[in-house]
Amino acid sequence: MKKILAVIKKEYKVIVQKKSFIIMTILTPVLMAGMMFVPVLLMKVGRTDKTIAVADFAGGYLQALNAKPAEKKERKKGGVDLDAIDQQKALRDVGGRITFRPVDLGGRDAAAVVKEYEQKVLRKQVDGLLLIPAGVKASRQVSYYSTSVSDFSTLKFIESTLRTAISKQLLLEKSIDPAVVDEATREIDMETFKVKKEGTTKSDSGMDYMMSLFMIVILFMILINYGQMIMRGVLEEKTSRISELLIASARSTHIFYGKLLGIGLAGLTQVGIWIVLAGLLVTRFSGSIDAGILSFLTPEIALYFVVFFVLGFFVYAIPYAFIGAAVNTDQEAQQFAGVLSVLIIVPYILGISALQNPNSALTVGASLFPLFSPILMFMRITTAVPPLWQILSAIGLCLLTIWGLAWLGAKIFRVGMLMYGKKPTLGEMLRWVRYK
Amino acid sequence: MSELVLALQDLVKDFDGKRAVDNISFSLRRGEILGLLGPNGAGKTTTMRMIMDIIAPDAGRIEVLGRPFSEALKDRIGYLPEERGLYRKLKVLDTLLFFGELKGMKAAAARERGRMLLKQFQLDGYAEKKVEELSKGMAQKLQFITTILHDPELLILDEPFSGLDPLNIELVKDIILSRRREGMTIIYSTHLMEYAEKTVDSLVMIDKGRKVLDGTLAAVKAEYGQKFVTVQYEGDARFVASLPYVRSWRDSGREMEVELADLSKREQLLRDLLGRVAVGGFQVSEPSLQNIFIRKVQEGAGA
Repeated sequence: MKKILAVIKKEYKVIVQKKSFIIMTILTPVLMAGMMFVPVLLMKVGRTDKTIAVADFAGGYLQALNAKPAEKKERKKGGVDLDAIDQQKALRDVGGRITFRPVDLGGRDAAAVVKEYEQKVLRKQVDGLLLIPAGVKASRQVSYYSTSVSDFSTLKFIESTLRTAISKQLLLEKSIDPAVVDEATREIDMETFKVKKEGTTKSDSGMDYMMSLFMIVILFMILINYGQMIMRGVLEEKTSRISELLIASARSTHIFYGKLLGIGLAGLTQVGIWIVLAGLLVTRFSGSIDAGILSFLTPEIALYFVVFFVLGFFVYAIPYAFIGAAVNTDQEAQQFAGVLSVLIIVPYILGISALQNPNSALTVGASLFPLFSPILMFMRITTAVPPLWQILSAIGLCLLTIWGLAWLGAKIFRVGMLMYGKKPTLGEMLRWVRYK
Repeated sequence: MSELVLALQDLVKDFDGKRAVDNISFSLRRGEILGLLGPNGAGKTTTMRMIMDIIAPDAGRIEVLGRPFSEALKDRIGYLPEERGLYRKLKVLDTLLFFGELKGMKAAAARERGRMLLKQFQLDGYAEKKVEELSKGMAQKLQFITTILHDPELLILDEPFSGLDPLNIELVKDIILSRRREGMTIIYSTHLMEYAEKTVDSLVMIDKGRKVLDGTLAAVKAEYGQKFVTVQYEGDARFVASLPYVRSWRDSGREMEVELADLSKREQLLRDLLGRVAVGGFQVSEPSLQNIFIRKVQEGAGA
């Protein structure tokens, strides 16, 4: 036992003192913060105000178009309640402020106006020309001219505004009470709520998706990172001819487990620091960021993150250690590691569909499979909380797999460590397992 | 007689049908230095690995410090494998701390003794340096320090001279001799027999997995000694081989080592040489271990 501790101590110290460890520990939360705030900032800084010329042959629509943003704001209970994300959403909806400017028709026909404005659009004097023909009420046909017609939010905004305006007009013509008309044509504002055991919270589905994806990416990154660290560590002991010294000093199983635990502990330290930092960040900025993020980063999620990091670490680290023990050069190791990385990518890819459909049979099944569950089960937990028995089964199956891998790993490690310079075949590796 | 520190009995090891170690037996008493000699591929490393329980023998018995090998014994042995190295990124003192603790030492004790040994080996300025910053010679010294850090009763050194320049070979020889003065029992293997000659108390020679000779250095030399003459010469001396009183003849062009049937024939040899070659030097000599080994192997092959 004392010898395991000696190995743990050494492995831990070596990693924690590495520059790359310190840099990654600091840099990742910075990136994390960036992921949260940059979109908001980009919205503010990068939004472009647009000017659209409106050739209103029908008459009366310009007013409706220009009135829209103000109306929308009012609906939001005086704007005081607007938190950063909603504001961001509002801005996103229109892609910046749009000013609609009337075109002086001067008795010209549509073709002449289009001809004039084609030049103006090209010279960027206006961003676009909206042509509303006289018979729009019946034809429901308008035209939009611009250098860019892929700005869906703007187009959608124009569409829905015009539709509402026409509806209003039609209703008014039928001499219906204007108040009723206003009431009848009011926009629908949909808020999304996430149902969880511990209570339903207001939540932004887009934000949830982002956060979920983001945490999976981090999990995925650190699992690969720490797995490769173990692989390189084992390989280093082979290439610098340290393994025989180790085996002559302590039980190979103790060295193997000590190594796993030491590196795992270093990883846990890093994850712990991140969680503390994230917690600080969330409490510090709780006033200015969306409640969605707050509700996302619950202590429960943090706990599951740690649990599935630890499980995932052992599930992947042991095969990585196999590779390190079985090969002789960095190149060989990288080849095999590539294969293993693909195996880790599978749950990640499955997870993207899992985010959309967290309770499909495929997702549920795959999230119970021990090689996938560290990533997939965690992903499910972040989106739609699975039944407890499924979580516990995934954890149990993982533990069982780890137990088996550790047993196998210690054997392969023992023999592989002393195989210098010779590339073992798969058959030989199987024979190693049967050694005493 | 002092106690047996190491006893090997009828050790056998096959690798893929090829016999690497064939019925080897020898023993080592406390305080002795034993040289395990033989050319590359003779089975020296396999034998040492079996002593350290790194590979299991197919047959035979090994007793270390009076009992079959066990995990607990690892802490009482200092083993320097032929394939050796250190963690390049680890600091010197941390390296000692790690290997000390791995040998069951307490951290404080490992640090204290580590510092003492670093001083003794003139490495005390490097305690906080990384191993990769050391020169090859310094790294080799550090490697030795890790081997003797926990004050082992038995030192097992596999090819301690390999890959060293002459300066460092002298250094390692000094280390071995200084450990002996401290009462350590040492077994080391080498294919460089001229170095063994100056340090060992007894020796075991093996070739192709078999023991060809063993005994104390004095006894081995006495058996072969006083019948050899070394001659420095110029000319064609091939006729010497066919002289009736010459038992063996080894020629290296300007120097030959001649084994006589009887030492009294040495004057006869000198007379026969004079006039046919220019003799530059003529002395009665002890046979080198190298020669004894070659003779032994030839005898074995001829028999």
